[in-house]
Amino acid sequence: MIVAERKKIPELVEMLKGHKKILVLGCGTCVTVCLAGGEREVSIISSALRIASRNSGYDFEIDEMTIERQCDNVFIEQAAEAIAKHDVVLSLGCGAGVQAIAERYSEKPVYAGLNTSFLGVLEERGVWTEKCSACGSCVLHKYGGICPITRCAKHMLNGPCGGSREDRCEVRPDRPCAWQLIYRRLKGIGELDRLKNIEAVKDWSTSLDGGVRMLIREDHRI
Amino acid sequence: MNNQPLNIYLFHCTNSLDTETIRRSLGEREKDHTFKTISLPCSGKLELIYLLKAFESGADGVALVTCKHGECRYLEGNLRAQKRAEAVRAILEEIGLDKERMKLIQQGDGGVQSLIDELDRFIERIRNATAESFESS
Repeated sequence: MIVAERKKIPELVEMLKGHKKILVLGCGTCVTVCLAGGEREVSIISSALRIASRNSGYDFEIDEMTIERQCDNVFIEQAAEAIAKHDVVLSLGCGAGVQAIAERYSEKPVYAGLNTSFLGVLEERGVWTEKCSACGSCVLHKYGGICPITRCAKHMLNGPCGGSREDRCEVRPDRPCAWQLIYRRLKGIGELDRLKNIEAVKDWSTSLDGGVRMLIREDHRI
Repeated sequence: MNNQPLNIYLFHCTNSLDTETIRRSLGEREKDHTFKTISLPCSGKLELIYLLKAFESGADGVALVTCKHGECRYLEGNLRAQKRAEAVRAILEEIGLDKERMKLIQQGDGGVQSLIDELDRFIERIRNATAESFESS
């Protein structure tokens, strides 16, 4: 899922000053699960903004709303009436959600209330870890299901680098060495031979190279 | 000296203390200040938004009374409450308010009297902070 975290309240106040009627718009999907932009966080951020507004002499009038998905027009429509009544939207969606709302309501300022961080998983309560870089050409099958691009600090496809100490990454000693994990995993599933292969330089044309990526499924377009 | 009455919100766990006992112990203090007591089935029930709403509604200070460490009826409710109080203190700091306006009071061996003593110190601190901000404005 997409993992995000909220911006600090002073940054939001700075962003919103000059506006009066503000709609704080949450998203019920990824950012709800990572406790950044769901209904609960909408109420927390709204409340904090009301207190900050009163404290700094601004005159914010803040309303709250959460839709199921900000990245989907079907759900965005549900916010149309509320958005029309406000001067500005503070979106607590991920970067995709903020842009989807901004595109749909081209005459309304739409600001990001979150910093979209990464694609990751929940490791334990309150802890998320990045797992995927969305490079567009998945190599997980070659590395026992552990992504060296995302999880190795040096993004090495032919590792290890030799710098790890006691299973820990030399760049971030608080993190495990991805190549140690890859070795253990491949050994566990009996595929250690894969490490004898030299992986060629990655073709990054499926990633951010060459501009915005699109996915078109012709079979779903009728 | 600023003797302005304060609005104090008091969240407490009903397993360690009942509202009636608190109100009785507050005694004369209720003439000087407005106390709003909110009882919870467990302090772990507390959500961040409850505490923020208290400040949004005009609380000068919010105290959260939890059970003694290791004595939560639901094992870790008081630990959760402590984390949430810390989160609210961090938000208050971001906003530019004195984080000490959010106070966690853990029940000790001294019973309700030690709670009231702690509350008195809390009120005094807020009163001084309010007076300072009043003088500097």
